[in-house]
Amino acid sequence: MQKLIAFVGNPNVGKSVIFNKTTGQYAVVSNYAGTTVDVTRGTVNIAGEQYQVVDTPGIYSLMPLSEDEQVTRDLIIREKPNIIVQVCDMKNIERSLHLFFELSLFNIPMIFVLNMYDEAVQSGIKINISKLEAILQVPIVVCTATTGDGVKDIIKNIPSAKISNINIKYKYQNDIDCVNNSLKEKLNFSKAISIYLLSGDKDIYKYIPENMKSFVLDFCAKTVKNEFKMFAAQIFNDNNNAIIKIIQEVKSVKHIAQKGFLEFLGNLCVNPFVGFFIMIAVIFVMYEFIGVFVAGTVVDYIQTKVFAETINPIIASIFDYYNVSLLIKDFFVGKYGFFTMAIPYAFAIIFPIVIAFFLFFGILEDSGYLPRLSVILNRVFSLVGLNGKAVLPMVLGLGCGTMAVLSSRILETKKERMIVLVLLSLAIPCSAQLGIILAMLSSVSYKVTIIWLLCIIFSVLLVGKILEFYIKGESTPFIIEIPKMRLPSIINILSKVKMRLVWYMKEVVPLFILATAGLFFIDKIHLLGHLEKLFAPIVVKFLGLPIETTSTFIMGFLRRDYGASGIYDLAQHGMLSTTQILVSSVVITLFVPCLAQSLMVVKEHGAKNATLIFCSITAYAILFGGALRLIVSKIVSF
Amino acid sequence: MKTKEKIDVEEALGVIWTSIQRGNDNFDKVLSVIKEGVNENIMDELIKDNYVIKEGLKIRLTEKGGYLGKELTRRHRLTERLLADVLEFNREEIEKIACDLEHNISTDLADSICTLLGHPKECPHGAPIPEGECCKKSEDKIESIVVPLSHLDIAEEVKLSYIVTTNHDYLHKLLSLGMVPGAKLILHQKFPTYIVKVNETQIAIDSEVANLIYVRK
Repeated sequence: MQKLIAFVGNPNVGKSVIFNKTTGQYAVVSNYAGTTVDVTRGTVNIAGEQYQVVDTPGIYSLMPLSEDEQVTRDLIIREKPNIIVQVCDMKNIERSLHLFFELSLFNIPMIFVLNMYDEAVQSGIKINISKLEAILQVPIVVCTATTGDGVKDIIKNIPSAKISNINIKYKYQNDIDCVNNSLKEKLNFSKAISIYLLSGDKDIYKYIPENMKSFVLDFCAKTVKNEFKMFAAQIFNDNNNAIIKIIQEVKSVKHIAQKGFLEFLGNLCVNPFVGFFIMIAVIFVMYEFIGVFVAGTVVDYIQTKVFAETINPIIASIFDYYNVSLLIKDFFVGKYGFFTMAIPYAFAIIFPIVIAFFLFFGILEDSGYLPRLSVILNRVFSLVGLNGKAVLPMVLGLGCGTMAVLSSRILETKKERMIVLVLLSLAIPCSAQLGIILAMLSSVSYKVTIIWLLCIIFSVLLVGKILEFYIKGESTPFIIEIPKMRLPSIINILSKVKMRLVWYMKEVVPLFILATAGLFFIDKIHLLGHLEKLFAPIVVKFLGLPIETTSTFIMGFLRRDYGASGIYDLAQHGMLSTTQILVSSVVITLFVPCLAQSLMVVKEHGAKNATLIFCSITAYAILFGGALRLIVSKIVSF
Repeated sequence: MKTKEKIDVEEALGVIWTSIQRGNDNFDKVLSVIKEGVNENIMDELIKDNYVIKEGLKIRLTEKGGYLGKELTRRHRLTERLLADVLEFNREEIEKIACDLEHNISTDLADSICTLLGHPKECPHGAPIPEGECCKKSEDKIESIVVPLSHLDIAEEVKLSYIVTTNHDYLHKLLSLGMVPGAKLILHQKFPTYIVKVNETQIAIDSEVANLIYVRK
């Protein structure tokens, strides 16, 4: 069996960068607490031996708050890594020591990595490494992961990892020993687990063998006289006292009173007044870059010059030359053909837009802007039962809804995850769809674009408010760390874009081809015609749209952007009036998400909830569209 | 000085009041606690002087008994807060000192301490402090030196005294971010969220959380 190395640490300390640099594989690296939702695995060869390496979600403590924090503890307990590499931010070593104490209870050989050495030096922080090494009793490596300094030393030190015998004096040591003694024979890591039990951590119950559960739980409740809170606070207190002592011995700070430009900019971004305008500017740049330049100019060029005028004729002539049967020819180069629809849509329209979005998002993420954005938007999100933390899945949703659903796991309560999920499915268009809609709307007028935007914002607030009212559970308070603003590193961003593109190619493009094939068969057996007839009354009578839009809505069910680009097509051929363009783009935005995202919703929340969500969304989209048509035709003239 | 008798009566009423608050109103159980903690015969005296009524198996406080019990508890927990937050006594020592001091504090003095400490809601052990008259009045005659973070001015440098523990999970998160008692804080801004600097870390919190963090000017 391969030995397992686990990278563990607080959020935003550079674990993922170190992981990338040691394994040569790409984990999503980011400057935002909580982006590593799933664990990433890789391998590394050290002195002729092959190790498996796993990068875990950042945590502050092993007593879990959110799902991603549970992931790390479960991974340690279940997979029993042979070596733990704890990465810490040298500037905030105090915090890492808490986690170190918790990890040391597991009796697993460890290495302690002091990362961000360069930033610590800039802040005037000095640490006496040999003294700290003697106290913690594990090898310590100092490095600056972003530049790569010292990363090799981590690998070099892996074979010399040691179990730390550091002994914290716990006030309730006797109680801990008591519980530990009853579990020792039956359970791995009983020492750590005893502390979680006495702290009243219900999530740990699953590791206690069924036959001793009631006995152990009763015993713990009696030991702490049901005052679990007090016990946990005391443990924290004891740890804290130990940390204060260690810090006094090893750390010195020389004050460097110098305010850099980046710090100044970082403060401006959270300023209630200036920060708001910075946000508007960021959105505007994003609109100009993704919506106008990439979705307009670049896509147009690739679509007409590369595909329509160059590639497609060549492929069509190949099929003509070999004289294959009509059905096969249609499958590849017909109306819903593999080469005429699936490939151009995937590579001419979606690909450039997705790349552009991920590039842009990468800059926001790497620079440290996202947490600042969550400060600015916290109050807005609190209107709908969320807090600023929801910025990450919501902004990511503007890129790819499927990825956003996955990242909603960083939210702490079921209620918040549910609200985000519904809003993502209902009102947040993905970059592919957004690009096409913006290209279409901006070719009509600013007025239409703004009405569309207002409709979407209104829907988010209305539906969010309703959900906040109806879904049971508490909203969580907003507490986040704001990392230092830094110049985004191009290499970091590119590696992130590459990682996400690989994911996109693997997960989304196949579904895309499948959806086209589905459309092809629906078309061949004339099901599309039947469906069109079925929905035509609603589309024509209620929404006031031409009958041709029906099929685009049905296509939108398979891919959000298929629908959007179908409407774009009609608009370009002059078949839609301004009101019709507005109504159809609002309806297609609100309409159900794409196949990939829907599957992800089913996976996260079950088929029953997913069906309920999709039915309500469809009803809402149609009713809203009808109402909009009525209102617009009465009071607005274009 | 109060007589030993008077002190015992107060002490016993305090114990009875808190145990009823915690949902334990079984007469025999409370009796055994008092016998052990105060003195053997105190219960008879309490009943004789009409502080306590026995109703079947249950124990009940009369109006004046309840008032004295609540006041004593309030004085005890306020004293603990004073010792822990302002005089910075060790947590182990405060219990014993508070037990002595609580009998020698007048209601007016208790209100002054309460105001000084910013009308705290919980004692250092997490038990609620009963509200006094001063907490209901909005205007304070003396200036508090321990206040919630939300009452600070921007750029003020303060020391964290304690965090009111309503939700253990979030307390833990704040603690692990470095918001520990004794830590130096600087308030950077209050809107749209609060931003405080602790050590080298900037932390954003909403006003709900800022109301739970008590700091000493």
